[in-house]
Amino acid sequence: MNPVTLIARKESGELLGSGRGLGWMLALSVILSVLALLLVSNTELSLLDNAQVVYMVMGTITALGGLLAIVLGSDAIAGERERGTLIPLLLTPITTTHIVLGKMGGLVAAWVLMYALSLPYLWAVGSSGQNLAQAIAYLALFGTPVVLGFGFYAVGLSARFGNVRTALLTALISLILLASPLLLGPSLRQSAIGQAFDAVNPFSAALNTFDSVVIDSQPLGMQLGRLAVTLAWLALTFWFAKRSAQTMEI
Amino acid sequence: MKPYSVLFALIGALLLSGATRAAAPVDISLTPAARNPAQPEMGNWLKFHSAIKNTGSQTLSGLVVWISLVQVDPGKEQPVDLEDWSAHKAVMRSALKPGESFSVDWPIRLIQAGNYRVVISAAERNAGTIFASPFADFNVKRKPTVESKRILPVAIGIPLLIAAYTGWRLRRRG
Amino acid sequence: MLIEIADVKLSLRGNPILNGVRLSMREGEIYGLLGPNGAGKSTTLAVLTGLRQADSGTIRVLGLDPARQRRELHHQMGVLAEDSGFYGWMNAPDYLRWMGRLYGREIPAEEAARRLAQVGLEGVARKAVGGFSRGMKQRLGLARALLTDPRLLILDEPTNGLDPRGRREIHDVLLALSRDRNVGILLCTHLLDDVDRLCSRIGIIHQGETLLEGNLAELLAEKTGANRYRLRLGKRVSAAGEVLPAGVKAVAREGGWLHLDLAPSLCPNTVWSALFASGWDIIEIHNEGSGLEALYLELTKTEVAA
Repeated sequence: MNPVTLIARKESGELLGSGRGLGWMLALSVILSVLALLLVSNTELSLLDNAQVVYMVMGTITALGGLLAIVLGSDAIAGERERGTLIPLLLTPITTTHIVLGKMGGLVAAWVLMYALSLPYLWAVGSSGQNLAQAIAYLALFGTPVVLGFGFYAVGLSARFGNVRTALLTALISLILLASPLLLGPSLRQSAIGQAFDAVNPFSAALNTFDSVVIDSQPLGMQLGRLAVTLAWLALTFWFAKRSAQTMEI
Repeated sequence: MKPYSVLFALIGALLLSGATRAAAPVDISLTPAARNPAQPEMGNWLKFHSAIKNTGSQTLSGLVVWISLVQVDPGKEQPVDLEDWSAHKAVMRSALKPGESFSVDWPIRLIQAGNYRVVISAAERNAGTIFASPFADFNVKRKPTVESKRILPVAIGIPLLIAAYTGWRLRRRG
Repeated sequence: MLIEIADVKLSLRGNPILNGVRLSMREGEIYGLLGPNGAGKSTTLAVLTGLRQADSGTIRVLGLDPARQRRELHHQMGVLAEDSGFYGWMNAPDYLRWMGRLYGREIPAEEAARRLAQVGLEGVARKAVGGFSRGMKQRLGLARALLTDPRLLILDEPTNGLDPRGRREIHDVLLALSRDRNVGILLCTHLLDDVDRLCSRIGIIHQGETLLEGNLAELLAEKTGANRYRLRLGKRVSAAGEVLPAGVKAVAREGGWLHLDLAPSLCPNTVWSALFASGWDIIEIHNEGSGLEALYLELTKTEVAA
């Protein structure tokens, strides 16, 4: 078995079999349940409101996925260093790239589980509305590179800082910065700076795509530019993580 | 003399109304499409046909024709933002000669339940008034968008399942 | 030669950490690397294992360049770093087997049990490593270092946290490896008793430089001749202010203790009587012998405060 798979399996086992990982899944399901129960209490919804709720669930999953990614990523290298397990790893024949990819393998497993957990909720709120199949497909297509990109970014910070708290704080601030345009009103986002930021922001790219596809029923062809943004984010953050791990001080 | 003054008032009113009709050079019709569902509900598409004709003696310039929708449920009367109902909200004709007419189809996606009134309006560059078609009323039935029988089991069941599994795992490890 | 390094220099952020380290070691030797805290021992080990790259100097470990051939080197070397950690949720056999897979080895359960027994960890198969004592973790770390049946073992404080019996057991394991399998062992430790018992060769590093290196017995015979004593004093004595008898030399002060070297010709009781008569407030007197500690302290001495 290659080292990446070995480390990924260990990470998955530790995360998903431990109290911490299961607690995270429980928290996620509670958040989604609260969203869904709020919906049940409102009987005056229009067709559009239903699509809005599906969009909200997709956005929530992506945001929570990003948050999980930076929590796990920040611990990836710095946590091993603080627990004294990094040196034994580096004293085996594996490389720092193996460690980065293996750690990300664990995150992929966690994201897959989160995505699977979201499907019953999407079905429950969206099956009598519009574009449910597209919602499921686009959550995977756009949510995955955004979430994994945050993971790589946090792993890179973890390697650079060598300290979990610093890496996590920096990653959280970055996540909030990237999410901030979505908290602003539409008029602010229409400014030149707002539009420029929106154009390169992977988080915006994913959420705007969800809006376009689920609410406005736009086809894939109109989302290719945004898909390119999310894939570029993934590639850039992978390079950052790899480079940071290779040049980190032991 | 009183009966003669009433007669003259009546004749005057008739002449005046005729003069008013003669001053409206645009005739707009509005008819629902034959294929519209008899009892439309949320998510359905409705189509309305309009024929806009220049009934005046002068060419109409810069003619804009648009669709308006109003909700007329008692207590909920309000204009409807057509943003999500229709992508086809207006047409423009630079010139319409006397006697000339053109047709427009107005497709609408029914987003919300309720009672609605649709009207087609037109404005011309030189005219001092808006021209309107007759109204067309329709009712949109509510389609259940929220299935509580679906949501409740998921919203309650999934957290319970995960909590139970977590408890079993931790007990097994301990 | 298993290890051959000469004139190794390394600076970090402009600060010189290693400033001329040398070390040579053969197969089957147990080499003790000594030095005060901050001397550069851990950095030297990092250079030997390829975790850090030296700025200059010649470095060959098992005939390989650690900076460029790290992966090949790690297949032949076992390392126990100081304070190295474990995955607390795993049990010991699973941990060894997982680490073995990182080396490309599939370790059967029986072999894992045997390796654990070799370091004195029988009967712990079901217990999570997170519940191990410090001494148990040290033993597990040693088992991990031995996974590849290495030609070279590098051990940083391997008996940390072990009780005297545990230390003796580990000593026996290391001696057997050296004697029976010709494994070279580089031992980095503060415990001079361990060095005395195990090492045939030592090197002393101070302030990033190798002060002394060679066969332990030869070095001791050559460098020390004086008898070393350690005195605990009731009140602080200034060596400059007090006159010491001829043949008595103050070597170092550590807290309330004063280390004195007495020339071999002097009778210690005569010296103590003279000091008492001079008004020295001596509470305890210990004979340090003419061994390794004396040599170590001599080479890495602190200045006696005025």
